[in-house]
Amino acid sequence: MTVTSATGTNRIVRPRRVVRSGEGKWAWLLVGVVAAVLLVWEAAVSWLQLVPAAFLPPPTEIIAAFVRLLGEPEFWQAFVYSMQNLLIGLALAIVVGVVVGLAVGWSPVLRFTVAPFLWLLYSTPKVALAPLFILILGLGNESKIALVFLLAVFPIILNTMEGAVTVSPSLVSAGRVFGVNGVYLGWKVIFPATLPYSLSGIQRGAALGFTGEVLGEFLGGTGGLGHLLEFAAYQFMMAEAIALVIVMVIIANLTLWLISTLRRRLAPWYDDRKIVGAS
Amino acid sequence: MSTFLASGPNLGRGGIGAWLAGLSARGKALVLAAEVVVMLVLWQLVVGVLGWINPVFFPPPSAIWQGFLELWSSGVLATNALVSLQAWLTGFAIAVAIGIPLGLLMGTSLPVDRVVGPIAWTIYATPTIAYQPLAKAWFGFGIGPVIFLVAISAVFPILLNVAAGMRTTNPSIIRAGTVFGASRFQLYRSVYLPSTVPFLFAGLRQAVVLATIGMVVAELTGSAQGMGAVIIRAANTYQTDQAFAAIALVVVWSVGMTQVVTLVERWVAPWTRKARR
Repeated sequence: MTVTSATGTNRIVRPRRVVRSGEGKWAWLLVGVVAAVLLVWEAAVSWLQLVPAAFLPPPTEIIAAFVRLLGEPEFWQAFVYSMQNLLIGLALAIVVGVVVGLAVGWSPVLRFTVAPFLWLLYSTPKVALAPLFILILGLGNESKIALVFLLAVFPIILNTMEGAVTVSPSLVSAGRVFGVNGVYLGWKVIFPATLPYSLSGIQRGAALGFTGEVLGEFLGGTGGLGHLLEFAAYQFMMAEAIALVIVMVIIANLTLWLISTLRRRLAPWYDDRKIVGAS
Repeated sequence: MSTFLASGPNLGRGGIGAWLAGLSARGKALVLAAEVVVMLVLWQLVVGVLGWINPVFFPPPSAIWQGFLELWSSGVLATNALVSLQAWLTGFAIAVAIGIPLGLLMGTSLPVDRVVGPIAWTIYATPTIAYQPLAKAWFGFGIGPVIFLVAISAVFPILLNVAAGMRTTNPSIIRAGTVFGASRFQLYRSVYLPSTVPFLFAGLRQAVVLATIGMVVAELTGSAQGMGAVIIRAANTYQTDQAFAAIALVVVWSVGMTQVVTLVERWVAPWTRKARR
């Protein structure tokens, strides 16, 4: 297993664990350690008062804030607002990314002319453009959707491109022999062979898109989870702020889990390791 | 011709594609350079001369160059770039200092791997921007949160790559080493180290990109100094030419540092050369 993915820079594939009878033991160990850390934290803050609770609230307070948060309609409004922008931006990025990626991967002319620019754009920290987006598109949804799109589209393009390039020539030849051509060839041979690559690009794109959404809300927002978090931290309501961070951690991990499950479902013949080793 | 066809399903159909594919590395670089020039000229024409796009939103290359000169001559650039540089290097050094030893520990000890691994993955999967407001509340408005964000962005790719490198060391080589009576230290020195180093450098390259993103995010959202602050100040006063100039510098830094990591890798660990394209 190598850790450089199709797009090289940003992804590590978790080594697939061999299921052994002892695995359950480790889960208990993990739970134990986490519980111990939380206990020490609680003790240090609320009983021994080594750290001021205003600075780092104890776990019990954070859990209370978390539960309170889930009961507030304001939170759910912000949640819907953020998720909506994220989904629209991501959907646009997936459509454009897969189409452009397939085109560039398939056509040698485009691959030699456009692809180097795409790589360059991929590796630039595009978050720096965020203030300009806010400036041009305003404080509303548009600027956030555009940011999500911009940040998410490049990993999708490049992974799809890499996938299209590595489609086995013998598959294509076999398709041609059986008289499959043109769009149908693309749909029947190229697209399924590229799909797992696209999905790993989408996985990366989703994480970056999340950054775009939250950054957009930080910089100039009227709603959304990022705005709530910024506000809570600004008011120094640390328990609420940490609870919101936990919400984001859950969202991010759930999204990743969902996409990798999807990849396993849609392309079970592909192994993570195979994709990763392919380029 | 047969090897040519074998190079990919899409090649060998003649025409311009085949011509491009047949070029030498130098020829490709020339074509690319020509493209860059054409793009810049087009950009300049569309925005600067023909005025199809509002130059405030998307300034032409000449204006960006002017913006760079303004930033440079006013001394804004030097002071802020220095602040960013300091934050980036400090954060990155902290990430390396934590990431490598912890990664090695994870690779060596199974219990540590099973406990730290899932926690590290969970934190790493979340975009670091989520931690920015906490950093701001804890470390104030100065360089502190920037360093924190750079460090937390960079530490996980290093840590997880080193651990993965240790874990995926070819077991047959380890067995061969034991058979030939290698001591524990020798085993680490001659078996684990060479197979982990390529992973380490792959992690460092990822870390450079993520650290730069972390730096920009932290500076954009709550710092009075640094390149991110320059960008946002320029954008808010509609001096987009300066903003683009500052962005270009950040890009140069990110790409440049990635190259530095690759160069160091070639120098320190020449056996990993094949792995990169």
